[in-house]
Amino acid sequence: MTTQAMTAGRAPMPGMKVYNLKLGMWIFLLSEVMFFTGLIGSYIILRFAHPEQFAAPGQVLNINLTAFNTFLLICSSVTMVKAYAAIQQGDQQGLKNWLLATIVIGASFVGVQVYEYIALAGEGFVPIADAYHAVGRHMPHDGPAIGGQLYGSTFYTMTGFHGTHVSIGVLCLCFTYWRAAKGAYTADNLGGVEIMGLYWHFVDLVWIILFTIVYLV
Amino acid sequence: MSTGEAHKPPPYMLVWAGLFVLTIMEVLIATVTSIPKIWLVIGLMAMAFYKAYLVAVYYMHLKWEPKRLWLLVSVPIPLIMILIFVVLNEIFVP
Amino acid sequence: MSTIEQEMVHAAEGGHHDHHELPFIRKYIFSTDHKMIAKQFMFVSLFFLVIGGLLATMMRWQLGYPGEPMPGGMLLPDAMMAPTPNGAIMLPEFYNSLVTMHGTIMIFFAIMPLLVGLFGNLLIPLQIGAEDMAFPRLNMISFWLAVPAGILMLSSFAVEGGAAGAGWTSYAPLSVSGEWTGVYLGQQLWLASLTILGFSSLVGAVNYITTVINMRAPGMTWFRMPLATWALFVTAILILLAIPILAGALIMLLFDQTIGTGFFRPEVGGEPLLWQHLFWFFGHPEVYILILPAMGIVSEVISNRARKPIFGYHSMVLAIIGIGFLGWIVWGHHMFMSGMNPLLGTSFMISTMAIAVPSAIKTFNWLATIWKGDLHLDSPMLYALAFVSMFIIGGLSGIFMASTPVDIYIHDTYFIVAHIHYVLFGGSLFAIFAGITFWFPKMFGRMMNETLNKVHFGLTIVLYNLVFWPMHNLGLQGMMRRIYDFTQYEYLAPLQPMNQFISISVFLLVAAQSVYAFNFFWSIFRGEKASNNPWDSNTLEWTVPSPPPHGNFPEMPVVYRGPYEYSSPESDTDFYPQTKPPPSKPPVQELIPEPVTPTPEGF
Repeated sequence: MTTQAMTAGRAPMPGMKVYNLKLGMWIFLLSEVMFFTGLIGSYIILRFAHPEQFAAPGQVLNINLTAFNTFLLICSSVTMVKAYAAIQQGDQQGLKNWLLATIVIGASFVGVQVYEYIALAGEGFVPIADAYHAVGRHMPHDGPAIGGQLYGSTFYTMTGFHGTHVSIGVLCLCFTYWRAAKGAYTADNLGGVEIMGLYWHFVDLVWIILFTIVYLV
Repeated sequence: MSTGEAHKPPPYMLVWAGLFVLTIMEVLIATVTSIPKIWLVIGLMAMAFYKAYLVAVYYMHLKWEPKRLWLLVSVPIPLIMILIFVVLNEIFVP
Repeated sequence: MSTIEQEMVHAAEGGHHDHHELPFIRKYIFSTDHKMIAKQFMFVSLFFLVIGGLLATMMRWQLGYPGEPMPGGMLLPDAMMAPTPNGAIMLPEFYNSLVTMHGTIMIFFAIMPLLVGLFGNLLIPLQIGAEDMAFPRLNMISFWLAVPAGILMLSSFAVEGGAAGAGWTSYAPLSVSGEWTGVYLGQQLWLASLTILGFSSLVGAVNYITTVINMRAPGMTWFRMPLATWALFVTAILILLAIPILAGALIMLLFDQTIGTGFFRPEVGGEPLLWQHLFWFFGHPEVYILILPAMGIVSEVISNRARKPIFGYHSMVLAIIGIGFLGWIVWGHHMFMSGMNPLLGTSFMISTMAIAVPSAIKTFNWLATIWKGDLHLDSPMLYALAFVSMFIIGGLSGIFMASTPVDIYIHDTYFIVAHIHYVLFGGSLFAIFAGITFWFPKMFGRMMNETLNKVHFGLTIVLYNLVFWPMHNLGLQGMMRRIYDFTQYEYLAPLQPMNQFISISVFLLVAAQSVYAFNFFWSIFRGEKASNNPWDSNTLEWTVPSPPPHGNFPEMPVVYRGPYEYSSPESDTDFYPQTKPPPSKPPVQELIPEPVTPTPEGF
């Protein structure tokens, strides 16, 4: 960017000693916080208002599979932060390797989630209120429905939007990797990696909350 | 950033271990133990928020950011609490 | 923009290309220059303003002459009008669409982009001394997301079932299923369009906040920022935090309609009240999004045209922030009639009345600024004074509604319609007229015609009050807010003459706007050439040529004082530009901070 070019040697007066791109990403993340507040808040409210519509933990959802998925996402956060640490030292190869690891783990998370969705839908757990007939994992197939119509609606909307965020993150990571492969980042020029990391860790953070609220409580 | 040279490298792997252990504990508490529901919920939420705090502070490097950014980042928190508290009060009358 | 508009812009820009020439499409269509994006927003939203006005005219025909054939109605398709031998009569479903689309288009596609898209883009970088926004490309994306959203919204008139008809608030369960409104695809297009528009506003807000925080010129401390920029900054924060809540609610409603989830469908256990809460949790900050920038603009104009420092600059800033915060804890006052925990109702009532405090601080400060000022009653000042007086009326009727017992009676009546128009038309729109007239020379390098503007002002302020003042009476007599034919009720039938009077006034009011439209386009080409600083103003945007070149400032300006030092004894003129060094002291070195050390490149 040409910000410094036209200012005749004088710099603007930053109110935040953080460069624009990073500040912008943080501000954007604040709005993401509010977006997930809307979704998660609706879930909490609906669940309090209609407790009978929601199943106990583990009755419908597969906790072990998702715990593994949570583990995956936490690992991808570590690899992401390692990529950032690598480029801080100017280690181009390290950056690329760790980014690649993050992409692979992040994509696996999406894959596991898709697998989970398919399995759940196969058991009759669907987001469509009128067609809802979840029977649960340990129940006979002709048993009564567990929970109610709101359960599927809220579950798929929340986890689906989180999954969308992860998928977008993976695409952005691929872009970052492509830029890294061209040698675009150096120890003095790592804004792109840092804000990519911020977004990725934020997605991880949301999942930590979602996992507890949706699967465990 | 500029703080990278001044401090020793952040404890990334230690935080990872902490997150991992907390996750395992959460799953165990939720599935194996049989403590009353209210304490279960409070305990699990406390652990979840602590995990989220760890990610924000260490992985998102808030620990090394100026205090003003902390202020900016904490802006939505009261709003979240207001929204959820009020609507709960409204819809869920015990 | 159409080619005509591009040529107009081109003509207005003439002669300021001392740097490399951008290709046409980059300069006028996919431009990243904040001034060009501001103009793009202005033309598009003025277009929507006209559309919204025409929708209102059609509504008023039905209310003034219920059941009578509408002139020109034969031109509209049968889905909207029932043809009879004497002409076409409006269908109730179409009336519902008109109500909904008038509200939606005026709020989301006219007033909001005019205040935030136009003035935010135009003023923020110029007033803080930045060469452009922090993220110029994101800025362009913000505009080019708003355009398809607008097209989607308009196209919903053409689909089967017509445009959305559940009101601009789209209360569930009315909006959840086409069974109730008869609108299927139109409602979904409405939801999709607003979601896209929300994303556009969000991108803009991120940009504004970053720009204001990080790109102020040396010496431009927080309390030297002009009030317009302050107001736009707080507005951007409100947009940033409120729009995602709306987006979440819109998406859930869209899912309810399309894939059949049950969030807001009571028959499967969903909570229609949840929609109201989410909508108004967004909706009340939205109300302040629509008024705060107007207040900022008016503060600029009044201080400048009264040639006096604004009275109580700090209290003005604190009032803006206070209104911004209080906006989050009052949303329940839209829902007194929805049935509410009495404890909550009372707290919402008190917090709503508390908003009167910062609003009154601002009003009294404006009055104190005018007091014994050297008043220049030219058109921007007239519009600004109209804002203040109409805002007082609208604000006072707002206090009526905040009181729960009163609200039970006037809820969803024309009293509410009168109130919203006193603050949105009398308030925001007059401020927009003031702002466009005031900054017109900066945008196009020419002045608007003063006589025509005064004619427009006189007609508008009179007709406007003739339209909206009687609506208070209609409301108090019980006429409900969204009704196709009120004469079906015996007790409302006597209101027919008053409704007719209002309708005739509306037709004249809409016609009177053509004076402004004519003046606007005429002045772009033929207006008197403007100097750099035609209003003798202090703020930074008037130190650069009109219109400013790409990059705005030839070199980074240094700011020495606040923006409202009019009639200062220190200065030999009656204004004292922010960039003029004080006579006695050498340039202040310590004001120039050290540059930020790390400035990594982005993507």
